[in-house]
Amino acid sequence: MDFTPKIVYFLCAWCGSGGSETAGAYRLKYPENVRPFRVMCTGALDPVYILRCLIEGADGVVVSGCHPGDCHYNFGNYRGRRRIAIIKKILDTLGLDSDRVWLRWVAHGEGKKMVDTAKEFNDHIIQKGINPFNNRWDT
Amino acid sequence: MNVVIKIEKDKKKGIVSFMKSLLEKGIVNQILLPMKTPTKTSFAYILTKKPDILDNCDPIAPVMPIQGARIVSKLTKKGPLKGVTAVILRPCELRALRELVKLRQAQLNGLLTISFDCPGVFPLRDYLNGDKEKMDEIFWQAINRCELEGSRPLCSICHLFTGELADIEIGFGGIEPDTICLTSHSEIGERALHELGYEEATLENRQIYLAEIKEKKLAKRKEFFEEFRHKIKGPERIMAVLTNCINCHNCMRVCPICFCRECFFDSDTFKVSPEDYMLRAERKGGLRFMPDTLLFHLGRMNHMSISCVACGMCEDACPTSVPVARIFALVANETQALFNYIPGKDLEEPIPYLTYQEEELKEYEQPYTEEYAP
Repeated sequence: MDFTPKIVYFLCAWCGSGGSETAGAYRLKYPENVRPFRVMCTGALDPVYILRCLIEGADGVVVSGCHPGDCHYNFGNYRGRRRIAIIKKILDTLGLDSDRVWLRWVAHGEGKKMVDTAKEFNDHIIQKGINPFNNRWDT
Repeated sequence: MNVVIKIEKDKKKGIVSFMKSLLEKGIVNQILLPMKTPTKTSFAYILTKKPDILDNCDPIAPVMPIQGARIVSKLTKKGPLKGVTAVILRPCELRALRELVKLRQAQLNGLLTISFDCPGVFPLRDYLNGDKEKMDEIFWQAINRCELEGSRPLCSICHLFTGELADIEIGFGGIEPDTICLTSHSEIGERALHELGYEEATLENRQIYLAEIKEKKLAKRKEFFEEFRHKIKGPERIMAVLTNCINCHNCMRVCPICFCRECFFDSDTFKVSPEDYMLRAERKGGLRFMPDTLLFHLGRMNHMSISCVACGMCEDACPTSVPVARIFALVANETQALFNYIPGKDLEEPIPYLTYQEEELKEYEQPYTEEYAP
């Protein structure tokens, strides 16, 4: 298949990015079209950025942060989960395919889980195909 | 406390004399209520201490040029007024006001809120271009049916049309035609009715009558959403609806919930270098100007749909007749259902964005049960 999706991976500064560090230490590989972005906390990520990614041409967005109860800021990820739930609900209501947004917790030590998530999401998006907003200039 | 008042001429005069007695007996010090402007062409809220001015007022306007919650927010943001202020608000305005109180943009201290059975309002454009006297008449005839022909689309499917959240509720439906009823829902409201010297009455039929209308409206609401959802579903259809948007951001400016001093979508984030625009244009083959139409609407939904009271101001303010309010109400209906949240209903209940539960929303997490091996 020659479709290479553009994927944005938001990782929280403490666990998500930690997971990618662990992956690096073990020399684990993930697809190069997955672009990691560090945010301070999943609760600090305004879903508008997820929207902007999806509208401006990304094919999918994954968000990873500390497991519930593990947040560096105590409750940031609980709030983050509510925000992701709301944005997915909005996309669902308007029929804009909320399955292009994933939320999966990755702890600092779970390098394998981070890499697996990147791979699994990449395959998932390849199966889904190109984002319909990718080629629309009128958004 | 429930009170039934016999009225002589019409309901409007009945409410006016009630409001005047509040001022004259010193129960309230000032009143904030809608009034026809001296030009007789539109309505505006007036803040007054003079009972005489009230003689010509329209305590309930058939249109909503400005959302009342915005007005109270402007008035009380820097602190409450001296004394007691009576304010007449529609149910949706009151819900928005209570939501703003939670967001610390307004205060209820020193306010005596008065609300009523709202039949809906005419779209402002229809009213300004139409036969105003006739529309006023239609409005006052519709008021005990709680249903107005030719109202804003959202008003016709509004199921929270009673003033039960106010200190004093004025009722028209389910009682004798030549009466209005007053119900107090708080201490301050009860005290006011006592001081006016009214006698307790029973209103059994009214509750049954209102429940019937509510059920009817709920059924209509469900049917409407089902039909409308189909109209805007999918990238193709939503773009077809939003394509008329001219990015004036009027919908945001009139929204009672959009209180931010500077909207994110007006901020410097969106003022970028020409090269940046060129990059975006190259990436998509071209770039629409003004850019970020879809992002503005989806982003605003994400910021405020949880508190949206479905008043319909945004649709009234849209110069290109985009059905913004209907889209927002549809989305708000879904996002609020996620947390069983009704904006403005409970002052103690925090806004869902500001709270959390440890065990919830598991269905929005992507499960990872076994190792992924492609």
